[in-house]
Amino acid sequence: MAIFEWEEVAIEVDEDGFMQEPDEWSERVALALASTEGVEELTDEHWHLVHYLREYYQKFGIAPMIRKLCKESGFPLKKVYELFPSGPAKGACKVAGLAKPTGCV
Amino acid sequence: MAKTATSTESSVKENIYPYYLPGKIPDNLVERFLEAFATVLQFTDYRQLLDTYCATSAKCNRCSVACPVYLASGDPRDIPCYRTNLLLEVYKRYFTISGWFKSRLSSRFDLTEEIVNEMAVAFYRCTACRRCTMECPLGIEHSLLTRLGRYILSLIGISSKALQVSVDEQLEGETHNTSKIPKVALLDTLEFLTEELEESFGIKMEYPVDQYDREFVFFAAVSDYLMEPETLMGNAAVIYAAGDWDKWTIGTGNYDGINYGLFYSDWYLENIVKQLVSEVDRLRGKKILIGECGHASRSAHDFVPIFLKQDAYPVINCMEYALDCLEKGKIKLNSDIITERVTYHDPCNIARSGWIVDQPRKILKSFVKDFVEMEPHGINNYCCGGGGGLVSIDEIHDFRMDIGGKVKAEQIRQTGAEILISPCANCKKQLKELVEHYELPCKVMGLHDLILKAIEIPGGKSPQERKEEAALYEM
Repeated sequence: MAIFEWEEVAIEVDEDGFMQEPDEWSERVALALASTEGVEELTDEHWHLVHYLREYYQKFGIAPMIRKLCKESGFPLKKVYELFPSGPAKGACKVAGLAKPTGCV
Repeated sequence: MAKTATSTESSVKENIYPYYLPGKIPDNLVERFLEAFATVLQFTDYRQLLDTYCATSAKCNRCSVACPVYLASGDPRDIPCYRTNLLLEVYKRYFTISGWFKSRLSSRFDLTEEIVNEMAVAFYRCTACRRCTMECPLGIEHSLLTRLGRYILSLIGISSKALQVSVDEQLEGETHNTSKIPKVALLDTLEFLTEELEESFGIKMEYPVDQYDREFVFFAAVSDYLMEPETLMGNAAVIYAAGDWDKWTIGTGNYDGINYGLFYSDWYLENIVKQLVSEVDRLRGKKILIGECGHASRSAHDFVPIFLKQDAYPVINCMEYALDCLEKGKIKLNSDIITERVTYHDPCNIARSGWIVDQPRKILKSFVKDFVEMEPHGINNYCCGGGGGLVSIDEIHDFRMDIGGKVKAEQIRQTGAEILISPCANCKKQLKELVEHYELPCKVMGLHDLILKAIEIPGGKSPQERKEEAALYEM
């Protein structure tokens, strides 16, 4: 298992850079993970999405259905891709500290 | 970033991901491979099949004209006969008397680490689409040898991590499904879909959960609960409109139809099928209803009778059910709603055998004005390029785009279709990526996504009203 270091942050990640221990997530960690996704700066819109995902994850143990994410965050899918170019699962969820999606996703 | 393995020179040891599970690769590859092969022969009936194939395989290479991977790559190592022969040679040399004698007289073939490496790459360049079998004059099913090869490799720790972590979760994890969706999340998602349906139709359709003694126990590809709301809403709308709402249920003990065992391990295949059936037992259901997923349908349809008793449970694909409803006049689809040109992609796992070919076409032609076929189609269709589990392996994305799906992309382009129907979770994912990669001007949808738009439910908003409301929403 690899350790990813960024400034003072050091976290365990898998081969694709997803967090191994989602409970160790913090906003500093989000910044660190965003740097691997080509997202230079986290704006209010980024945080809005990340916090929504984080809350959903803490309640339900997984990311929400993509349509639900769009509906409840108020961002159409296109907007999600603008904010996180690798998309909701591999971009936004990664920054929110969720594990890599498995199965046919 | 892991590299895509395109050459057989790369060793599984160096080219770590995605071909093996970290930390498990043995040093004595050759010895372990042969041990695993011997074990499989001891506990299965593959020997008979291999003897037949050794006797009949003529290496005529006629399969080369059928294989979309070879057609795109032009690499002779992608010819199905060549790949199959890798395994047959090992079998002949080490597990038959004549092969043993020949090796005494002239050491004409010995298994080496390089050959094991070559197999690891070759078997994961095959999409197991079975199109080659249609061309083979001797009826050799190369995809079965792909699975056998992958099965033996998996026993010594060489397989795809993406497949393995999903299977582990399904059989040993807390959620028992490949996408790790906990029960609370499933219930929340179903509630969300109910709200969406109510918004659209003005009718409350609460998904039935854990109901006993129902006719159908429903299993979607579990990823649909994350990715495909309209497919699942379409499934519900058909059942509701047909008046069968009290005849189906989703079980919270197991709600995943996916079975990656079909792609690489008979052992997993059997155990996942048994797990699925035990949920139907628990709910005292009568039939297994599978959602839009090719391999989920095939693994249940073909293997429930093999691993359980013959008459265990009938397995029905949701398109069979929908056509039955349509033909009996239980549902009505409005033919003024879909004005775009539509084409249909046959998922290999349900089409190659001829099982699900006509049903979706009859449904589509009943309400779509401009329906066009790809050529070839039906049992002779081309794979999307992500079959055999490859679609789940992100690391071979470039292979799936540039080689695996190249022929399919061209086929789609030639139809000029604006909507590409693909009733399979695997194919949908691959085709969405292909459409983006090749900049094809069409939208990938499930069959039930389209039905959802055109279905008329008495007492609910009409398809026309819904279409107008959806247009407003999009603006």
